[in-house]
Amino acid sequence: MSSRKTPGDEFNDPYLWDGSGEPDPEVQRLEKSLTVFRHRSEAPTFPIILPTAGTKSLVSALQNLWPRRSAAVAAMAAFAIAISLLVSRPVPPIAQRPGWEVTRIEGAPLVGKHSIQVTGAKAKLEVGELLVTNSTSSATVTVAEIGEIQVDPGTRVRLLQTMRDRKRISLEEGTIHAAIWAPPGEFVVDTPSATAVDLGCAYTLHVAPDGSGLLRTTLGWVGFHSNGHDSFIPAGAVCPTHRNLGAGTPYFEDATEPFRTALAQLDFGNLAPESRSTTLQIVLSQARKDDALSLWHLLSRTQAADREKVFRRFAALVPPPSGVTREGIFRLDQKQLDLWWNALDLGDISTWRFWEQTPDRAMPANAQSLEKKQVTLKQSR
Amino acid sequence: MATPLNLQLSFADRAAVSPSVSRDFSEEELVRAAQAGNRAAFGYLYERYAGMVHGILLSRVPIEAVEDLVQDVFVRAMPRIHSLRAADHFGGWIAAIARNRVVDFFRDSHSRTDQLDAESQNEPASHSGSTADRAEAHAILKVIRSLPDSYRETLILRLVEGMTGPEIAARTGLTHGSVRVNLHRGMQQLRQALNLGSAAKSVEKL
Repeated sequence: MSSRKTPGDEFNDPYLWDGSGEPDPEVQRLEKSLTVFRHRSEAPTFPIILPTAGTKSLVSALQNLWPRRSAAVAAMAAFAIAISLLVSRPVPPIAQRPGWEVTRIEGAPLVGKHSIQVTGAKAKLEVGELLVTNSTSSATVTVAEIGEIQVDPGTRVRLLQTMRDRKRISLEEGTIHAAIWAPPGEFVVDTPSATAVDLGCAYTLHVAPDGSGLLRTTLGWVGFHSNGHDSFIPAGAVCPTHRNLGAGTPYFEDATEPFRTALAQLDFGNLAPESRSTTLQIVLSQARKDDALSLWHLLSRTQAADREKVFRRFAALVPPPSGVTREGIFRLDQKQLDLWWNALDLGDISTWRFWEQTPDRAMPANAQSLEKKQVTLKQSR
Repeated sequence: MATPLNLQLSFADRAAVSPSVSRDFSEEELVRAAQAGNRAAFGYLYERYAGMVHGILLSRVPIEAVEDLVQDVFVRAMPRIHSLRAADHFGGWIAAIARNRVVDFFRDSHSRTDQLDAESQNEPASHSGSTADRAEAHAILKVIRSLPDSYRETLILRLVEGMTGPEIAARTGLTHGSVRVNLHRGMQQLRQALNLGSAAKSVEKL
């Protein structure tokens, strides 16, 4: 195999890459042996997809499902009857308002005004309501059909929004462990210092009484957003937040102690310019290849000469892919930064860009008024 | 770009005369048709991406659970396809759902990753070959699944699902460079772990 390589072309394995070139007998043997595991199943019968584009698309869908026009017309009539029945139905009682199921683990967690005191008992957390656990209670929240949150003792969580494409909670204080299997961007957690956006993952989020926080990702990755400042936290990494300064720079937990300490000073320390350069030098000299994660974030968080240093170290750890230039990075060209991020292989950043462009990513009006109420209440305490 | 209505009609017409209609449509067209309520289009997306989803799952969960989970991933994705705003990124989106489904699987079954090692060597009846061949295949798969995450997923897509490097990149959304590196380094580690000839030679040279 190595005989086919040319100097400076370390990863050139034509057969392994696309089956071209001289066949590699070892790869062929592996392919032949492993083919028994290849996917073979037929597609299941999928349920009907309800279109969102209005009646025009629904007609199209029905035309595809029932070739005969008369069948489609009959179905449309049935649909119209169903809709009229739905519209004429009485307003649902309070118990049927949207909400998530809360299951007691221990103690007596408070859901709205009611506490759950029996083991395994459940209650419904409705939009706008708080789930509160004291030092001896904990609970599990089933997030619609897309995941689960474990709420540790000493936590306050408010449900802000539960719609098909967007679920949103506010973690005011305490710790939650979230495992979400929804498409990226569907589950969002607001904290006093930043907004965490699920990009396909499991993670733990902690908010201290002073509003600072820490996010630790265990699977997939999470985006942290605050005041136009974005941080991406892949599995194995953590990201601190500060109430006034927002999200800090993410880092892998196995980074060296000097690296982590210096990074914290850069993020939240009140450093004089010369001390800042010295501290940055510690970060750069301690950075391992994995710490390119942190350096990528520092590219947009440093200025002039410091950015030059970060650029050089980062480029030494992860060579810039085609299309990325020093000039582009220096003017913080988003496309080039994104390209370089993708070269880290920690997650496709386009997922995040879609979320940013989502029109309804801002907090809904009712949630904003809830937030204002909370602030007023806190101030009046 | 055709309107959803035109696409639907066009899709239906072409599907009627050509069983290979899946190949005639881009990923974006299929996604838009599915978003407009076309189950056939979603079926074609399944045909196109089931292998990738299968590979992602096979790299992480017990073999006997994989086929069911593949179908479950698509059934879960279907009602949410409206939330996919960039229609040409279906691959990355469904891959993320598959990886999240793995979390769900281990949470539900209270399983641990070491279950992968302990799982039985039962396999679907369609699998042929001698007992020795099957044992060898299981042994190789076990070694691949002990490799780092990014290597094992890419290697399984290449060696099990038969996808080429460019196909893996196009389907998963990874860059060509990343896939190339994952394949190369993953294969290097696999050769060493299996003590294959070329790896043994490289070790001798050191």
